Amino acid sequence: MLIVENVRKVYRVKEKTGWLMRKWTEVEAVSDLSFRMEPGKIIGLLGINGAGKTTTIKMCSTLLTPTSGSITVDGYDAVRDDRFVKSKVNMIAGGERMLYWRLTGRENLQYFGSLYGLSGEGLKHRIDALLLQVGLMDAADTPVERYSKGMKQRLQIARGLINDPRYLFLDEPTLGLDAPIARQLRKHVKELASEQGKAILLTSHYIHEVEELCDEVYIINKGKLVAHDTPANLTQSLNLETTLHVVIPALSDSLDHDLRQLAMRYGGHRLITETDDKTWEVTLRGENDMTTPLLSLLAAHHSPVLRLHTQQPSLEDVILHMADRRGA
Amino acid sequence: MLQVAKATFIRNTLVMLRAYPWSFVIGHILSGVYTVLFAFFVYHYVFAGQLDDRFILLSGSSDYLSYAILGGAFYAFAVSTLMNVSRSLITELREGTLEALLLTPSPRRGYFLGNVCQQVMRTVFEFSVILVVGALFGLTLANTNVWSAALVWILSTVAFFCQALVLGSLMLRFRDTYITQNTLFVIMAFVSGVTFPIPYLPEWLQPLGQIMPLAPALDAFRQCVIQGKPLIAVSPQLFHMAGLSLVYLWIGTWSMRRMEKRVVESIFG
Repeated sequence: MLIVENVRKVYRVKEKTGWLMRKWTEVEAVSDLSFRMEPGKIIGLLGINGAGKTTTIKMCSTLLTPTSGSITVDGYDAVRDDRFVKSKVNMIAGGERMLYWRLTGRENLQYFGSLYGLSGEGLKHRIDALLLQVGLMDAADTPVERYSKGMKQRLQIARGLINDPRYLFLDEPTLGLDAPIARQLRKHVKELASEQGKAILLTSHYIHEVEELCDEVYIINKGKLVAHDTPANLTQSLNLETTLHVVIPALSDSLDHDLRQLAMRYGGHRLITETDDKTWEVTLRGENDMTTPLLSLLAAHHSPVLRLHTQQPSLEDVILHMADRRGA
Repeated sequence: MLQVAKATFIRNTLVMLRAYPWSFVIGHILSGVYTVLFAFFVYHYVFAGQLDDRFILLSGSSDYLSYAILGGAFYAFAVSTLMNVSRSLITELREGTLEALLLTPSPRRGYFLGNVCQQVMRTVFEFSVILVVGALFGLTLANTNVWSAALVWILSTVAFFCQALVLGSLMLRFRDTYITQNTLFVIMAFVSGVTFPIPYLPEWLQPLGQIMPLAPALDAFRQCVIQGKPLIAVSPQLFHMAGLSLVYLWIGTWSMRRMEKRVVESIFG
């Protein structure tokens, strides 16, 4: 298990205060953060830009040293026993970095495999298996500079798996990828956790990706943990507003009055707009679901329903809400 | 460590064969060849073959052309080794592969060893071309003590490698290659006895030559090639070089570790 306990990271930043004057200031990127990564589980680390997600991943993967607190991987300290920890973890980042463009896909994997102490037939078999797994067998001997963005990203995944890590950190892995490739990648990530038992930590700006993949989500804001739960529980726990859209062919004064009364009774508010095709769109927004009373009301007024659509709060709303609340 | 060195050697060779900036190789060879030509023209047409008495006293030989040509060739060798080894990590940083490299548990010594071995391959080629051109313009190799010269050459590679670690950490510190390396190269060319013996320099400038591994390396190499001296005869220069290597290795290892950490914090944090 990977255990992060009360980790804090402070950067010293040089600021220009005059022509030749500089001042050192301290910026706390991560503050008192604790979490665990367990085999077979995918956890999401969310927050708006500058929340400390990438710093956290870099600390877990030994690239950065925490200012205080501890990170242990299977009982080994990430700072003191970094060589051991490095052999158990790996990281895949979005974008097109972390690969040698002049080398072929196979040569990249051979090089990185050697850096992890792999060699001979064992390494050859592992490379073939990974190339097959990420669908790059046909392009294995083509230089990476001729790869498409999606192919480079798939090779990155193979590189991230070359040492068969127990703990995998995915930092915006689908950044800039086309929808079908991103979907394929998500499927692959899911299999890595469910079939190979890898513990995965994911950061992504695509919230639906996190909702789809993660068993648990940690939301951090300005380096501090503000919430931790399953994606479903997080969206329910905050009682955020549900939005109800209904389109009706006509709007009488009495119906308008009753809709206002309904919204007030449920602690919400209503908005009515006339659409281009001479119908009326009623939007009811409130913390409680008003679908059933609305349908009863429309039935009582003999008003047909042309369209009905409910919009539940998303994980994105939760993050924005928490960021606003903390910032206020 | 050797596995990492071998893998890095193969990787660099593949990259070199596919897309090496051959302008670097040509640049190093030309710089050596210009030194050869400069020495030849100055010696024949400016000084009309007349040498200062002190030159024979200080260099132990009256063969100025061999002296200057070997200086040029060895300087090109030093520059080439320093440049390629010191630039390795900053190149990884610029190409976006440093992070992936630092994620692995591979020892950095193996990585640098692989770089320097691959570099030696190129340097042998550059050095040979300069010597061949030098032979056309008056380089005499008849008295060469081949084994001693070869050993001095190998030990010099180690010394330049150690110095390259310090240069490399400075490059990472300033995120610059051009000004940092060229400042050092200009100073090295001037104070290390490349085209004239160090005692010709003003007294206050001479100690600067003593902290450059190029100075004792070049002195020992010239004695083995021009005067055919055995290794034992150049042991003071070898000890001098070994001492400098140890100091540079210590500073280089320490500062490289610090700079890696600093770069990771400032770039990836």
